[in-house]
Amino acid sequence: MASVWTLHFRFVSLRPCQYPFISSTRNRITITNGISKWPQLKQHSINTIAKFNHQLVTSMPTPPFLLNRNAGSNFPIWVCVAVVVLVAAVRVLPRRKKDRPGSVADLVRRGQLRSDRRGISRPLKYEDPFNNPFVKVGKSNSTVEMCGKVYRLAPVTLTQEQQTTHQRRRSRAYQWKRPTMFLKEGDSVPPDVDPDTVRWIPANHPFATTATDLDEDLAQNNVYQKNGVPFRIQAEHEALQRKLEALQNEQKLNKLVIDPTNAREFERPFNSNSKLNDHPDKSSVNNQEQKQNKLVIDPTNAKEFERSFNSHVKLNDHAEKSSINNQPSDSQSPKLESDANHFESASSSEEDPSL
Amino acid sequence: MLPLHHLPGATVVTKPPLSPATLFHPQPPFTFPHSKTLTPKPKHLPSPSSLLQWNRKPELAGETPRVAVITSGKGGVGKTTTTANIGLSLARLGFSVVAIDADVGLRNLDLLLGLENRVNYTVVEVLNGDCRLDQALVRDKRWSNFELLCISKPRSKLPLGFGGKALTWLVEALKSRQEGSPDFVLIDCPAGIDAGFITAITPANEAVLITTPDITSLRDADRVTGLLECDGIRDIKMIVNRVRTDMIKGEDMMSVLDVQEMLGLPLLGVIPEDCEVIRSTNRGYPLVLNKPPTLAGLAFEQAAWRLVEQDSMQAVVVEEEPKRGFFSFFGG
Repeated sequence: MASVWTLHFRFVSLRPCQYPFISSTRNRITITNGISKWPQLKQHSINTIAKFNHQLVTSMPTPPFLLNRNAGSNFPIWVCVAVVVLVAAVRVLPRRKKDRPGSVADLVRRGQLRSDRRGISRPLKYEDPFNNPFVKVGKSNSTVEMCGKVYRLAPVTLTQEQQTTHQRRRSRAYQWKRPTMFLKEGDSVPPDVDPDTVRWIPANHPFATTATDLDEDLAQNNVYQKNGVPFRIQAEHEALQRKLEALQNEQKLNKLVIDPTNAREFERPFNSNSKLNDHPDKSSVNNQEQKQNKLVIDPTNAKEFERSFNSHVKLNDHAEKSSINNQPSDSQSPKLESDANHFESASSSEEDPSL
Repeated sequence: MLPLHHLPGATVVTKPPLSPATLFHPQPPFTFPHSKTLTPKPKHLPSPSSLLQWNRKPELAGETPRVAVITSGKGGVGKTTTTANIGLSLARLGFSVVAIDADVGLRNLDLLLGLENRVNYTVVEVLNGDCRLDQALVRDKRWSNFELLCISKPRSKLPLGFGGKALTWLVEALKSRQEGSPDFVLIDCPAGIDAGFITAITPANEAVLITTPDITSLRDADRVTGLLECDGIRDIKMIVNRVRTDMIKGEDMMSVLDVQEMLGLPLLGVIPEDCEVIRSTNRGYPLVLNKPPTLAGLAFEQAAWRLVEQDSMQAVVVEEEPKRGFFSFFGG
């Protein structure tokens, strides 16, 4: 209620002849409806304000510079304004200068340039700890301060005698002979082997493979091989070639026709297992059919056959190329890996004596 | 990168650069090797001074290839990190390096070097004849004289009994390469003293022992040192990793000199604890390639420098209480 009165009061004092709230806003009307003697009150308030204004004007003394408005009387104000502007400028300008990146001041602030070396064209070697402003060497040359911490050099006190004593102690404590024979747990020790040099390895150790079809000499030769096709890839290739020749001899065909379905038969060892299971019955049926029907060679089919057969030759080519870059690119690796894995499975299934 | 001899973990060289002829002295078996770097100290030790060596490259000491195994006994002390960083430091210094990850089951060196996508062939494939040795070597594109060779793929198995012999053959094959023998062959050894350890140390003729200043690591390091010495590897130097000078100052951590007193091995380097190690590991970007260089990276470079010259640290840096002035109480 008080706030309403205040509002009303101020409004009346400013614009005594108009009553916009009474006519315009409904809320205002409802509030003022409660007051019965509205015109009297209005007149009273006008009088009160007029008296208050008069008292206010008469009680406050007028400042001398307003009373005396001659030339030069604004001088103190302008002095104050000038001082404020000056102070602001002094504070803002250096900050701007400092913020500008790459400036000399910025370099000095960041420690890249010494303030006493400005204008010297030779750059500082900051790798040199003794020429670095962040590294301070002590007066006695025995301490150095870096990053706010003081470091001192402590000489190594280990002597040759102490070193020898430690070696003797260890030789007494650890009587050890390096094992040269690794045997799986459960294997029997060969008769000509020193039992001290045998290392027993659990069967699930990474060293303990299930079966090693590779003898030691062959492995050594593989490591020493510098040029050419790697041994296993060559062996796989030769085995496949022999198989193909044997197949051809068996068939004793003067004119061989190979269509894509037949070519898939030869692709088997090179492709993934999923392809192995691709319509086995169908291919066998086709094979049998073509044994019965002697047909003419189709050049397109023959090309496909060549492509399928030479897939691992390409692999060898790739291996040759990769010897330049040492390792093939990432995108080719899964293919190579799968090929290699498949070679192993093929060789094991075929039981070729050369492997 | 120029050597910083006053940084924490940096050495102080008290003598002029040594020539390889004066550094390398092959020792007969069953005699303790004559230390190339540690000389008997006089009773009154002179205060160590530093000599900056600016305009030179480290001189390679010893016969090439230098086959060094990086081992520790305990796991997680930084063998692989050290191998990656020292290997790349050596490559940056101009030496040809082959790093062999001999961790059969748990290889990680390829990850640290950021080469994990380029490892298609390993030693297992070489032994099987699926590829040649030069195809299994992964050349780092950043420093082409650095090559990585992994022993096996994570789930594959190495043929039983081939471990040590295979590594010896590999080193022999690397020696007789057409492009020349590498200067360094660094072998990252697996943790423990099992078959993997035996395999890794077989072709080595020197060892870098990594340890941290805690008692578990020290006990394993001592045992591994004993095994190495029994195996005939006499040139063993240690790197103390993850050193915190503030903890040493507060006597919460053994100092480097304490570690040395317990193990009795010459110091190859002191690597300060650095959060950048984890960051660089995750990035596959070794610390020593960081710009600006990090403290740990600089210390690794220093260690690589000493490894080349068959040198060791003559002094270590310890942290001191800063001397406070009269007005320090008031912030002066």
